[in-house]
Amino acid sequence: MYRSFISWRYLFARRTNLIGIVGILVAVFALILILSIMTGFLDESRNALRGSLADVVIDPYQGSEAGTNVPRSAHAVLETVRADERVVGATPEILWAGMITQKKKRLDHVLSSQSGGAGLLIQVVGIDVAGPWQLAWPALRVSVAAAGGHLPPLRVQDAFGATDFLEALNGQAAGPPLAPVANPITPFARPASYRPDGRPAPAVVVGDQLFSRYGMQVGDELQLMTMVQDPGTGEWNPNNRYFVVAGSFRSGVNESDMGRIYLDRRELGDFLGDFREYTQILLKLRDYEGEAVALVDDLRVELAESGLIYGIDGGFGEVLTWEQFKVNMLGAIENERVLMAIMLSLVLVVAGFTIFAILSMMVSEKRRDIGILLALGATPRGILDLFLLIAFWDALLGAILGGILGTWAAFRIDPIERSLSDAFGIQIFDRSVYLFDHIPSIVQPLSVAAIVLGAFFCALLFAAMPAWRAARLDPLEALRYE
Amino acid sequence: MDGLTSEAPLPVDAPERARRKTVLSAHGIRRAFALGERSLEILHGIDLELSEGELVALVGASGAGKSTLLHVLGLLDRPDEGRIEIHGADPWKSSVAERARLRNHEMGFVFQFYHLLPELTAVENTVLPAMIDRGAWSYRKQRKALLQRAVETLTHFGLGDRLTHKPPQLSGGERQRVAIARALFMDPKILLADEPTGNLDSATGETVLELLFQEQERRGLAMILVTHDSRLAARCQRVLTMEDGVIQADSAHPVPD
Repeated sequence: MYRSFISWRYLFARRTNLIGIVGILVAVFALILILSIMTGFLDESRNALRGSLADVVIDPYQGSEAGTNVPRSAHAVLETVRADERVVGATPEILWAGMITQKKKRLDHVLSSQSGGAGLLIQVVGIDVAGPWQLAWPALRVSVAAAGGHLPPLRVQDAFGATDFLEALNGQAAGPPLAPVANPITPFARPASYRPDGRPAPAVVVGDQLFSRYGMQVGDELQLMTMVQDPGTGEWNPNNRYFVVAGSFRSGVNESDMGRIYLDRRELGDFLGDFREYTQILLKLRDYEGEAVALVDDLRVELAESGLIYGIDGGFGEVLTWEQFKVNMLGAIENERVLMAIMLSLVLVVAGFTIFAILSMMVSEKRRDIGILLALGATPRGILDLFLLIAFWDALLGAILGGILGTWAAFRIDPIERSLSDAFGIQIFDRSVYLFDHIPSIVQPLSVAAIVLGAFFCALLFAAMPAWRAARLDPLEALRYE
Repeated sequence: MDGLTSEAPLPVDAPERARRKTVLSAHGIRRAFALGERSLEILHGIDLELSEGELVALVGASGAGKSTLLHVLGLLDRPDEGRIEIHGADPWKSSVAERARLRNHEMGFVFQFYHLLPELTAVENTVLPAMIDRGAWSYRKQRKALLQRAVETLTHFGLGDRLTHKPPQLSGGERQRVAIARALFMDPKILLADEPTGNLDSATGETVLELLFQEQERRGLAMILVTHDSRLAARCQRVLTMEDGVIQADSAHPVPD
């Protein structure tokens, strides 16, 4: 009984214990907070790395000089992938490189401008969005059903079903865009304010950062330049056309928001002189984590055998998950996470040393008490337990309080940072440096548990030595200590 | 102080001693301490028997080995040679836990410097031996009764208004009375007191001594009182005089000249 009683009494009577508790608390708090923020940052980098990649991308490679017979139309590939039940959405798109200038601004300014440098070479993306009759399909089904007939449900076949583009348009991805399009379902409708000089230009939707960097307005006309190959001579020729800005999108991904322009796939195909009907097919999967790798392997064989992509071994055509696209960079991120966890674990060792120091001090300070307890009939084992119990309370209180505080701070890091910034009049986290307007923080329950338990056992481990020393104390020597 | 000698109990004669049970005995105790490279022998073969209810003074100049002998008798120190017997059994042949139990149940210690735990109140210090003896469960069950007994003892010792005071808030005499209450709490058979008044002024020392003698008699304790005060020794039934690690004189076995 005396073990818990005296350990508890010592805990509150000796102020040094407070230092031990606070030491562990701070270590656990800092570890949880830092790991959560770093996990958040790494997750953001992972997202940034993913960019606008779909779950799986099929790149058939249609290069004519390779002499392939890959069909120009996406139809056969789409039929094949849509037959697979693991695929919930599949859409063709044309991804092409282009340059941009505005009608109002001179091209040489754009070409020489440092500020426009990042947006100078852009990706022009032609995508499918549902047409009016596709939008009307559900209503049509109801009418047909009322008349006694049956219409099958329409499978999602546009970019909305396979990518996050709709979220980027209506502001669900990373906050509202600077210039939302009038109706996200029909993003490529010309803006109502548009007054064309002659033939109306087709509409485009521009990445948010590109939009603001060029000082664009909805209804502005832009000139897009690109290169296409002459099918006859094989020469590459420049090509340009005017488009009208219908609005902007915000995906939260730097690469897209800074360097992408979306338009209808048919318009882009027309602009490219029907050079390509599609360059890739984007898939959305039922269960990415579980099925992506197997699906990719299956599709590779199936598509290559039916001649829908060019080559498997050393060939150009590919079926890849987005992670396979960025395998090296993702590996680097994972490495970073592991390295950081290892380095930060050293904080726990420091906390352990605090306990070691405090307990050693207490054993020296309490030599006489140890002697008294031994004289009154305590066993050395009891003395060992007593000091381990003191460390146990220190570790328990420190780890649990640190865990609670750290988790709380990790969840509330944004308001905390804001109030700290306000209080000190400096900006701690410069939001303009990053693409996200908040401090990313992801609390992983497993990490929190590991840190709390790790700190607890580390402290107990470091307490073992002084506690053992206390137990070995000669009662006579301890009593003589006056 | 002069009147005190007349109050001294009569020495117990040999036949009376023989009738009483021996509670603690020592045979040929030797104890040496390492002093640098050489070893310094403090006890040179001590023989001693302590009977039930016997009050023994252990006197001698400082350095004679009184405290060392007391520690050996109290199982706090292991003799290099010789044998200790408590109720006829050698505790050094049994386990550490058994020796701890003997210290807890059979012996009470009163030290010159009180040796109370400074973080505990007077009552808590008093019940500490019971806490050490019992597990958490059985202590909790008896907690009320134990605390009640501690309060009664302390009140009886004149500390009724100091129950929740901690040692630093108590005077020397009060501390020593708490220490005595603690030493007696488990109803031991043997009480070992190492200069219990050595750190007190004479008036306070006298009240503490009165208390000790009273309790010794009331409880029938076998008690060894280490002192270098011969007047105090004269108040005991039996006086052992130590000199250079041996018992030179034992009033119970007068050496015929």
